[in-house]
Amino acid sequence: MGLLFVESLPGPRVFKCKFCRVDSASPDAIVSKEFRGRYGRAYLFDSVFGHFNYTHLYSCLHVNGVNVASRVNVSLGPNEDRKLMTGLHTVNDIYCSCCQRLLGWRYEKAYNKDQKYKEGKYILEKNMMLKEGW
Amino acid sequence: MGGFEDDEPPAKRARASSVESANLTDCFSFSKSANPLGSTMARPLPSQGKEVMVGSKGVIKREEFVRIITKALYSLGYEKTGAVLEEESGITLHSPMVNLFRKQVIDGHWDNAVATLNKIGLVDENVVKSAAFLILEQKFFELLRNDNAMGAMKTLRSEITPLGVNRKRVHELSSYIISYSPQQLFLGFSKLGIDSSNSRLKLLEELQKVLPPTVMVPERRLENLVEQALTVQRDACYFHNSIDGLSLYIDHHCGKDQIPSRTLQVEEDGELLLKHTLSGHGNPVMMVAWSPDDRQLLTCGVEEVIRRWDVESGKCIHIYEKPGLGIISCAWFPDGKQILSGLTDQNFCIWDLDGKEVDSWKAQRQSKTFDFAVAKDGKLIISMHRDSAILLLDRETKQETLIEEDSTITSFSLSEDGDFLLVNLTSEEIHLWNVRNGPIRVNRYSGHKRNRFVIRSCFGGSEQAFIASGSEDSQVYIWHRATGDLIETLPGHSGTVNCVSWNPANPHMLASGSDDHTIRIWGVKKPSLKRKDVGSSSSNGIHANGNAHANGFVHQCNGNSSK
Repeated sequence: MGLLFVESLPGPRVFKCKFCRVDSASPDAIVSKEFRGRYGRAYLFDSVFGHFNYTHLYSCLHVNGVNVASRVNVSLGPNEDRKLMTGLHTVNDIYCSCCQRLLGWRYEKAYNKDQKYKEGKYILEKNMMLKEGW
Repeated sequence: MGGFEDDEPPAKRARASSVESANLTDCFSFSKSANPLGSTMARPLPSQGKEVMVGSKGVIKREEFVRIITKALYSLGYEKTGAVLEEESGITLHSPMVNLFRKQVIDGHWDNAVATLNKIGLVDENVVKSAAFLILEQKFFELLRNDNAMGAMKTLRSEITPLGVNRKRVHELSSYIISYSPQQLFLGFSKLGIDSSNSRLKLLEELQKVLPPTVMVPERRLENLVEQALTVQRDACYFHNSIDGLSLYIDHHCGKDQIPSRTLQVEEDGELLLKHTLSGHGNPVMMVAWSPDDRQLLTCGVEEVIRRWDVESGKCIHIYEKPGLGIISCAWFPDGKQILSGLTDQNFCIWDLDGKEVDSWKAQRQSKTFDFAVAKDGKLIISMHRDSAILLLDRETKQETLIEEDSTITSFSLSEDGDFLLVNLTSEEIHLWNVRNGPIRVNRYSGHKRNRFVIRSCFGGSEQAFIASGSEDSQVYIWHRATGDLIETLPGHSGTVNCVSWNPANPHMLASGSDDHTIRIWGVKKPSLKRKDVGSSSSNGIHANGNAHANGFVHQCNGNSSK
């Protein structure tokens, strides 16, 4: 295998992949905790988040005004149409880029009007994650 | 027999009847490629055709054309031919008055020269005055040199000053008379040179610049015109990637076939070229660097020591370590006499080859990426500063400059001239930064795929006019450096291409290393007719740029061993 490039999130609180322990997502990006994945409880994350309330900041944020990507070290699968409990959606499965395990999925498109808010956001299953920094 | 069909550039046209001009007969090569001035040129015979314009577009005046050819002949040293041409064409290079003038200048008959100057028929009075000034200035200096201060002063007063030009210089000249010492005179004569005949020729050149070109044709005019045409062709050549120089016979135009695009060789795990196995490191080897003379190798184990190997024998010559600390990266200085390394405690350390520590300092590095570069003169050190910033440290001025990127940096590499940095980002873009003047971002390249791994890219091709990179879609990507256009994607590998290395000695050869455990050598579709590399340069060539190349290979090994 090539040399994996492992990124890290600012923290101090991060969600990590339970199996290979690389950073996956930041709790600051959580939109809802009441979702259900394939295997149980899951959190809905936004795709980016502003990082302004922490003292330890990346100065690139000040300079460029960009948001920090809320998920790192993940790969996306191809678009798939799936019928979920809430209706038909186009989703991409999310894999940990290091150990390739399935962590959740991302909503590419929602076909019901009231589900549109999910587009671009993603779900990570609670029992695939471990918490650090709490 | 009037018009011949001929395709070569006009600069090399010649008469069929000039027998003496042996070197001009090669104009008879009829090449079929396009000629910017059209394909038909009327070639009038000696006694006919006094057309004023020549060339298919009718923009070249015959008289000017013949005169610059004559001038070129004379400056190439072909006096006889030049004279024949003048006679045959009936167009003289210089009018008789001008010839007389030139002779008088060379012989140092200054007063006559000034008189002739007025008879040449120059329209602009200022030009006459400037030229007269130059001549009289020369007269002045020569008089002084011959210890004739009185004569010099007389010249200055009665001849130079009344001209009423260049007053500042007149004051300077008068000061030369007053402060009269041999050394100063010598210094004052700096533009005259030691020997007076040389200085008179220089005077002629100066006069040529002052007088209008119709009177005296400027030196090297024909050569300048040809060079301009070549420059235009070279600049317009999008795919320019050849080692040979430009020829005058055909318009220069590189096709896409000059870019490597087919696999020449596939090597698996170095079975074919395995020369040595270098063992000794206890930890996985993270970084490899070839010495500037290609004879030695530096290897760095993860948080371990640096070992220096001799490539021929495969023996480890030296081990560099810092007790209690681990080393994470290493690089050579361009002069091959010093080694730079990065340590786990975020310090930098420079050793000379014997292991004596020359310098060390603390850097605020918060990044795990261990890429390094030392710019050509050894004075600029380039390293990671933060996930999205690169630090440029000037060792002399201690000045630190930052290259700020808008996403995380995965790797970077420096151009051969040390002026440009190629930065790979997680956003699947490669950015080109000018570090010599700036730093400023000058271009972006995209199209390749990067998601999980460190993918390396490099400069390459003739004059490093191209950028190549690996990609996670198993292809090699090649971009045109100046425009950012993607020119080639090379399929062939069956796994992520981790790194690429363009042979610095052979612009037609590229190497790539992949997760499919192979290294591929890429070349051009048609074999080149003339190869300038000597002997086993193919293996040397890859190794010479082995930094990125060997890194990728080593990374594969590392991946395996950690499983």
